[in-house]
Amino acid sequence: MIKITELQKYYRTEEVETVALNSLSIDVQKGEFVAVMGPSGCGKSTLLNIIGLLDDLDEGSYKFNDIEVAKFNERKRSDLRKHNIGFVFQSFNLIDELTVFENVELPLIYTKVPAAERKKRVEEVLEKVQIMHRRNHFPQQLSGGQQQRVAVARAVVNNPKLILADEPTGNLDSNNGNEVMQLLTELNDQGTTIVMVTHSEHDARYSDRIIRMLDGQVVMTTVG
Amino acid sequence: MLRNYFKSAIRNLVKNKLYSIINIIGLSVSLAASILLLLWVWDELNFDKMHSKGDRIFRTAAAMGSTKDRVWEHTSAPLAIFGKEELPEIEDACRIQEYNNFLLFTYRDKKFNEKATYVDPNIFTLFSFELLEGNPKKPFTDNRSIILNETLAKKYFGSEPAIGKLLQIKNGDSYKVTGIMKDMPSNSSLQYDLLLPFDILAENRQHNPLNSDWGNFDYQTYFLLRPGASPERVGKQLAVIHRRNQPSDFFKDLIYLLQPLEKMHLYDVLGHEQGMRQVKIFLLVAFVILLIACINYVNLVTARSSRRSREVSVRKVVGANKSHLFWQFLTESSVIFLLSIIIAIALIFIFMPLYNDLSGKQMIFSLFDAKVWFLFGCTMIVILGAAGIYPALMLSKFNPALALKGILPGLGKNNGFRRLLVIIQFSCSIVLIISTLIIGRQLTYIRTADLGYTKESVFTFSAFNFTKNYEAIRDELQRQPGVLGVTTASQSVMNLMSSTGDFNWDGKPANMSNFIINQLSIDRNFPEVMDMKLVDGKGFTGTAADSAHFIINETALKQTGLQNPVGKTVTFHDQPGTIVGVVKDFHFKDMKTRIEPCILFINPYWGWNTIYIKTSGKEAQAALNSVEKLWKQYNADYEFNYKFMDDSFDEMYRSDIRSGKLFNLFASIAILLSCLGLFGLVTFTAETKVKEIGIRKTLGASVNQIILLISKDFLRLVGVSFLVAFPLAWWMMSKWLENYVYRTNIHAWVFIVAGLTAFIIAAITVCGQALKAAQSNPVKSLRSE
Repeated sequence: MIKITELQKYYRTEEVETVALNSLSIDVQKGEFVAVMGPSGCGKSTLLNIIGLLDDLDEGSYKFNDIEVAKFNERKRSDLRKHNIGFVFQSFNLIDELTVFENVELPLIYTKVPAAERKKRVEEVLEKVQIMHRRNHFPQQLSGGQQQRVAVARAVVNNPKLILADEPTGNLDSNNGNEVMQLLTELNDQGTTIVMVTHSEHDARYSDRIIRMLDGQVVMTTVG
Repeated sequence: MLRNYFKSAIRNLVKNKLYSIINIIGLSVSLAASILLLLWVWDELNFDKMHSKGDRIFRTAAAMGSTKDRVWEHTSAPLAIFGKEELPEIEDACRIQEYNNFLLFTYRDKKFNEKATYVDPNIFTLFSFELLEGNPKKPFTDNRSIILNETLAKKYFGSEPAIGKLLQIKNGDSYKVTGIMKDMPSNSSLQYDLLLPFDILAENRQHNPLNSDWGNFDYQTYFLLRPGASPERVGKQLAVIHRRNQPSDFFKDLIYLLQPLEKMHLYDVLGHEQGMRQVKIFLLVAFVILLIACINYVNLVTARSSRRSREVSVRKVVGANKSHLFWQFLTESSVIFLLSIIIAIALIFIFMPLYNDLSGKQMIFSLFDAKVWFLFGCTMIVILGAAGIYPALMLSKFNPALALKGILPGLGKNNGFRRLLVIIQFSCSIVLIISTLIIGRQLTYIRTADLGYTKESVFTFSAFNFTKNYEAIRDELQRQPGVLGVTTASQSVMNLMSSTGDFNWDGKPANMSNFIINQLSIDRNFPEVMDMKLVDGKGFTGTAADSAHFIINETALKQTGLQNPVGKTVTFHDQPGTIVGVVKDFHFKDMKTRIEPCILFINPYWGWNTIYIKTSGKEAQAALNSVEKLWKQYNADYEFNYKFMDDSFDEMYRSDIRSGKLFNLFASIAILLSCLGLFGLVTFTAETKVKEIGIRKTLGASVNQIILLISKDFLRLVGVSFLVAFPLAWWMMSKWLENYVYRTNIHAWVFIVAGLTAFIIAAITVCGQALKAAQSNPVKSLRSE
């Protein structure tokens, strides 16, 4: 599903150029659950952002379902993202001004799903993550675990083929963390590909494969 | 989608109350102010536009001098008749004469003094004034017909039908009401309440029939030209006709200027801008007010964009593209603008009566008026274009990966663009402060300038029957308490409307054959009572010989080039006489007009219509009482209407004074709006520096140092604004002052005061907020960060 070859990514300021990713190549197969691990600053999140088409790569090739997407313009990226990729972040990134229902509904609005259909799908997914009873609450009124469940619901409501999770349990206690990992596992079992960045060996154990990174390069791949 | 946009817009507004209030107040006040200004501009631009043939109607003015510098907006009576007969380009002509004095009209027990206007009968077909009752093609059945406007008809006849009723005037003549016209619109330059047939003026003139009297320029003449006719050509041909009928060297340079009716209000006869300058200034002020509000909005929204970065990124992550976000932020701006419009409409409704009072207009603000929506539409497009699109574009351009990390290149900080906007905004404010000061100084200059005669504590009134017994009445009044002097003249000395070319002297050069001199017939004590200064000669002697004595002013002396004028013989209206004095130049027209030659002479038969009473100020009431007592004795039929010259003088400049007041008001609004914007920016800057302030305070920074940290950047920008504003204001105000012949100087202190004012206002705004931030508890600020 994902084939990245010889990826280079630099961050430049006026004075310094930092290599964030250096000749990095990875493959992710359809239906795989991959964990990416490594110390802070090794380029995990940058890699995830590039996979999610939130960030550009400077050199190399990125194929998504055999289509070269490295040179996609903003519009094509946005199209590909909204139909194929769901995101889960460490800090949940829910929109404070929208309710639980509205946050989850958002991706469906951007893909122009009709209102009745939206309602049905949002309610289904809220039931699935067991947060239906909080549908009219605002994010600040929820616990961290509940907020992450909403974020997961938002990531999956559009039935994406790929979920990118950036330390999804980083801000959660172990109980809530386990619940979220369970949710991701269930989604993976249903066929969704998952790439998850994590610091937690415990969470990484849920995956099929662990990619370990250091200084912008893949240093080891372990099959779980 | 749209619902979602609205929802999030409204929730954002509620969440950020302070900034929402700053934005909405700023926009609604600026919208209301701009719409009020634009209504004024609209009213001015639409003066005299109510006539269906308006684009073909021209007022005729006579330009006498070879350089067209002496223009008289009246013509002789026959010009209309001969012009219409001889020139195929002329379709129709209408003459109007406004009678300077009042006529006393009586109906049963009702008696009123009215100003009558004599008009040709085609007034209702040439112009589009509405005749409610009567025949517009033949409004007068004979020379004893009269047309009243609705207001007068109601005044005399109440709810009774007015047509056919008889109004009597003093000499016993009765006038039959043959028409009722609608009151003339307030934005018409022609304002008449009561019309009489022009032909009345031709009665009893066997010796000098009106329609062959080419020398008396006393009538307004309006020509309706055929489509495509050239007014310049018609003007020249009219002059040819005039010269043919009255061959005289005096008219050798005469040319008639045809001024479009629709331009009469804003331009002078020669096409120079008059009121149009004010219109342009007010348009500019409206634009500046909108600009300042837009700058406030753009500055605050882009400054605060860092706070929206996470939301924008999340939306992008879940599938929003640039256009989704663009429309979302535009919707947000539209919601704010919509709320601002509603508040602006409420503000306009509330302040409209006050505004009409202040501007002296009768503007109507109605939501059913297409013009109002046109103005709203235009201002909204400007605001939305200037203030809505830019932030929407900026916000929708975020790189989500960076924005989620809080990295926003070029946004959220005091970037160059925002600094530039603050400089523009404050430059506008400083220009407005300087303009306010200079306009105020000019108005004060006019009102306090030495006119060359006294106007303080002098009141005037129409003489009516006092004329017959003038000398006895004068002597009696002079004995009354509070009366310091009594005199009379044929006209108001403030606005002399009579001039002649009948003034000759030995050795008058050929090139001065069309020399024109203003003329005022006075009582011999006039110069003395009015405190006019003689610079040469002794003036009138008080003997019978005075009837052949003249006083001329300094300008007349200069222009005629007479040497040792006192004792010289001159001819005035074919009567030889002697110059007995030269009076120091005095202003007998408004201050926008350069002082012209003038002659003072004594001739009671010229109609000593205006009586002047000088009082001691404190005893003005006693003087008034004394006059009123005599008034009842001689003028019982007339109302006693007096006017202090100070008030008459202010009335002459009423439009300037009003414009000055309006300018002050709107300039203040613009300055307040600038400060509101600065307040918002500083508040936000203080918010973003909470952590820095906390750390600095923990490390021992004093309150003053923190204030300096936050304020210095903003105050520096205000400083830079001076450099932009000073030359601009100097140039603009020099241009404006050119409007006045007699004007104040632009002093350096005006700039210093304006600069200090702007700086102090900005400093109070900035430092007040900075102080608040500096005094906050550092522990709390560090924790919140």
